[in-house]
Amino acid sequence: MTHEEVSSMGTAAKLVTVTINGKKYGADEDEILLSVAVREKIAIPHLCYEASLDPYGACRLCMVEVVRHGKREMVTSCTTRVTDGLEVVTDGPEVVKHRSILFELYLAEAPKSEVIKAMAARYGVTKTRFLKKIDTTDSLGNKCILCGLCVRACNELMGAGAIGFVNRGPYTVVNTPYFEASRDCLGCGACVKVCPTNAVEMEDQKNERIMKSWSNTRVPLAQCDCCGRYYAPKALAATILARVTPSLKEEIARCCPECRGKLIAKKEILAKTGGAR
Amino acid sequence: MDEKTLDIIISRYEAPAGRLLGIMGEIQNQEGYIPRETLEILSVKLEVPLSQLYGLATFYSFFSLKPVGDHVITVCMGTACHVKGAVKILKALEEMLGIKSEASEDGKFSITTEDKKFTLEIARCFGACSMAPVLRVDGNLYGYATPENLPGILAEYGWERHEN
Repeated sequence: MTHEEVSSMGTAAKLVTVTINGKKYGADEDEILLSVAVREKIAIPHLCYEASLDPYGACRLCMVEVVRHGKREMVTSCTTRVTDGLEVVTDGPEVVKHRSILFELYLAEAPKSEVIKAMAARYGVTKTRFLKKIDTTDSLGNKCILCGLCVRACNELMGAGAIGFVNRGPYTVVNTPYFEASRDCLGCGACVKVCPTNAVEMEDQKNERIMKSWSNTRVPLAQCDCCGRYYAPKALAATILARVTPSLKEEIARCCPECRGKLIAKKEILAKTGGAR
Repeated sequence: MDEKTLDIIISRYEAPAGRLLGIMGEIQNQEGYIPRETLEILSVKLEVPLSQLYGLATFYSFFSLKPVGDHVITVCMGTACHVKGAVKILKALEEMLGIKSEASEDGKFSITTEDKKFTLEIARCFGACSMAPVLRVDGNLYGYATPENLPGILAEYGWERHEN
């Protein structure tokens, strides 16, 4: 029986034991190795892992050594699922060597990223032998590592598909088609949230949100009928409202989350006290 | 490209695998480039985000987003041709056509003359290394190219030297 079948039956997944750096830990069978490490507070550097998306293994930083069938091999821990008796070493000499080179490459690829600088420094890498890629016109501020999380979040999670990879090889960037303001962008900001290097920028100005990194796409914001505050992009609100039941929609359509709470509380009180003030 | 022609092309590609590239390849062949309006209509018709189509169009060197001239000259810059002087050939062509290659932001090399007669492109390897250096004009291959025999080749396509 597969893991999915077991879970769908409502029973707990089979428990297994994994050995990480000589210590034994319990985990669900088929759980992602990196998430076990994160839970047990075992430091494995990683950039492109995002729990809400399928494991992808783009950044290669979470490489560890595992022993399988008596053989040592290097794998990315974000794409490895645990099995009973799995042995893992997170900082063997080979892993350390690979990781250092990766950090050097990242320091050259995204020289302005403070996240990468800090992470690399934690593993003793402060300099890079590679040519730093600095482009003053880069809309992602020379912080992008092209992991593709923003593209996938926009496509797979939000269904908007407003941004994508453009060009190839050393010329690859992430942006909107034709480098023009996008009509597909909802202004949800999922790209900003998932970006591991804080490269994606957006800013709210009065009644609109400006996606600075995406060709300055401007998205109008919805205004709260009760307090007058601009609280969410109109297109995003419409997408979400399309999914809720019509009766509930009436209640929540025009107000910001805070006013909505107050309104509902007021209604409840009025119902309990029979309308008496 | 008109919508009817596009619909006919789309109808030829039913299987999801290779569909986008197949359709875009036919547009490229018929138009000589991928017009923006066609790409936008295609995105709506296939329900594929424009960002994805644009990504493909900019990724493959086969696709061009800019209109090309009447004749396309492709200079092979593969290893063998490079060693045999492809750079000299390219420079000579630039001079003959009165165009200057500049650093492009997309990494693609494609320049068209002002009168829209010629487009100069480069390719990595034609697989015709034995005749290096080679160039191609509208699908016709020319081997053992030298800066001296280029005027003869281009004259076949209506090229004339402009004295200035």
